[in-house]
Amino acid sequence: MTVIGAAVVDEPIIATDATVRVEDVSKWYGNVVAVNSVTFGIGPGITGLLGPNGAGKSTLLHMLAGFLAPSSGSVEILGQRAFGNPELYRHVGLVPEREAVYGFLTGWQFVVMSAKLHGLADPEMAARRAIGRVEMTSAHDRPTGGYSKGMKQRIKVAAAIVHEPGVLLLDEPFNGADPRQRLQMMDMLREMASAGVTVVFSSHILEEVERLAENVLVVVNGRLAASGDFRTIRRLMTDRPHTFTVHSSDNRLLASALMSSPAVDGVELFDDALSVRASDFARFTLAVAGVARQADVTLYELLPADESLESVFSYLVNR
Amino acid sequence: MNDTIIRLTARQLFGQKRTLFIGLLVVIPVLFAVLYRLNSEESDPEHWVAKVLFVRVLVGSLLPFVALIFGTAALGTEFEDGTAVYLLSKPVQRWKIVASKLLVAWAATAAFVLVASLVSAPIALQGSGLDGSSLVTGFVIAEVVAAFVYCAIFLALSILTAHALLVGLLYVFIWEAVLTNLFSGLRYLSVREYAVALAHWIGNIPDSVLGPHIRGVTAVILLVVIGVGAVWLAIRWLARWQIGETA
Repeated sequence: MTVIGAAVVDEPIIATDATVRVEDVSKWYGNVVAVNSVTFGIGPGITGLLGPNGAGKSTLLHMLAGFLAPSSGSVEILGQRAFGNPELYRHVGLVPEREAVYGFLTGWQFVVMSAKLHGLADPEMAARRAIGRVEMTSAHDRPTGGYSKGMKQRIKVAAAIVHEPGVLLLDEPFNGADPRQRLQMMDMLREMASAGVTVVFSSHILEEVERLAENVLVVVNGRLAASGDFRTIRRLMTDRPHTFTVHSSDNRLLASALMSSPAVDGVELFDDALSVRASDFARFTLAVAGVARQADVTLYELLPADESLESVFSYLVNR
Repeated sequence: MNDTIIRLTARQLFGQKRTLFIGLLVVIPVLFAVLYRLNSEESDPEHWVAKVLFVRVLVGSLLPFVALIFGTAALGTEFEDGTAVYLLSKPVQRWKIVASKLLVAWAATAAFVLVASLVSAPIALQGSGLDGSSLVTGFVIAEVVAAFVYCAIFLALSILTAHALLVGLLYVFIWEAVLTNLFSGLRYLSVREYAVALAHWIGNIPDSVLGPHIRGVTAVILLVVIGVGAVWLAIRWLARWQIGETA
């Protein structure tokens, strides 16, 4: 099982069965720090690397994949140094974010080529199995240049799992996939994880990570803002103070009624709206309808004011 | 060597546009030769073939240009479009990747330049009663050797920088074509000069026809040193390649 001890990173804890170990890793380009002393260890199971665009997720993933050397610290996969170690790819599969494929190759040729470069004993057999797993068998004879974004993504995954790696790294794997493909790929990754594969994927979409990852690493501004079980992180995110904008039939009356609720920290009255600062997201959303009904006020609209992922992340960083 | 990479590279390099473009370039020296035959008032075809056709057109322009295109494209296009990651995330030793890419670029360059040489030189010499075989042999061998060294240099450059094509153009058409003529000492750092010296040596070309600037043995030593050096650097740079530098 994947073990990350701390819900919030104060003292980094690295699991003893960690297949991927990142110890005090920083990466800078000139004066720009992309990743700032990050430490974590993950084992078999699905780990999501969550963060806004430009947070350093790709940089971290590229260091895990051996395509970037850390400026300081160490990155190890299965006990071996990740950078400058081609032999390690026998156990590692990588699905890069960029869409590019060899457009002149068919899906079949692309996956067989991958199998041959891995030196597999029966490349065609391995390719057939991998293509079947991503449900691309019907399209495998067409040139990849004509594939849709989602199909390219799936054939890239097939090429990455053709040698049945113990560690699978995916950079934004659900970009361009339709809902059905997304579910199918999630099922496949869950299957691999339950078979003991360490799956690490990056995403800037909270819901994707929530649905798939057992463990989450939240990366903001190159730092590890939080790590651990998703439910813990979700609670951290939702327990923070929230601001709502409310439109109702009588804002002034609703304001005084809400102030008596323990879930509300403060209210502010504007011309045609009410701004409510809730101390607890869950309690407030449960309580607001009852409070309005008791005061005989009709609610027209209830809007969270700052729900962008960035604000959630910055809360986690600044708390 | 890795035959999967060799096959892949061949398909990448012989994309229709690139092959067509270089095919058109190959026609240029042939046209020059035909024009020369049609209104040759110059009495010395051997002299023209050596100094103009081979030194200026074939060895001086076509060879480095074709090598530049194939040498930088063999691996460079993969860095550019991001497909290099598929190749590099495999347990294939880096020297095998470099060797396979270089082999294809070299073979492609040599093939195009040899066709241009073996078609244009006989046309220019035709009817002159001269046996230019030793001259042509000398140059053809020199072209094949120089093609390897050029391709190795440009392949290495494409790993180091995303601007390999520009750097290569500056080297070929400013350094080799202009600066080496202005400062004779720079001739010792010019693949074109090595090639001419090697052709002079192998083809037993008289000094009256072609006065080389470097001794044949020196040229051979420099070709080997620079060729091996470029391959070594390419392997080293590929082993330390980091995403985002040229990608």
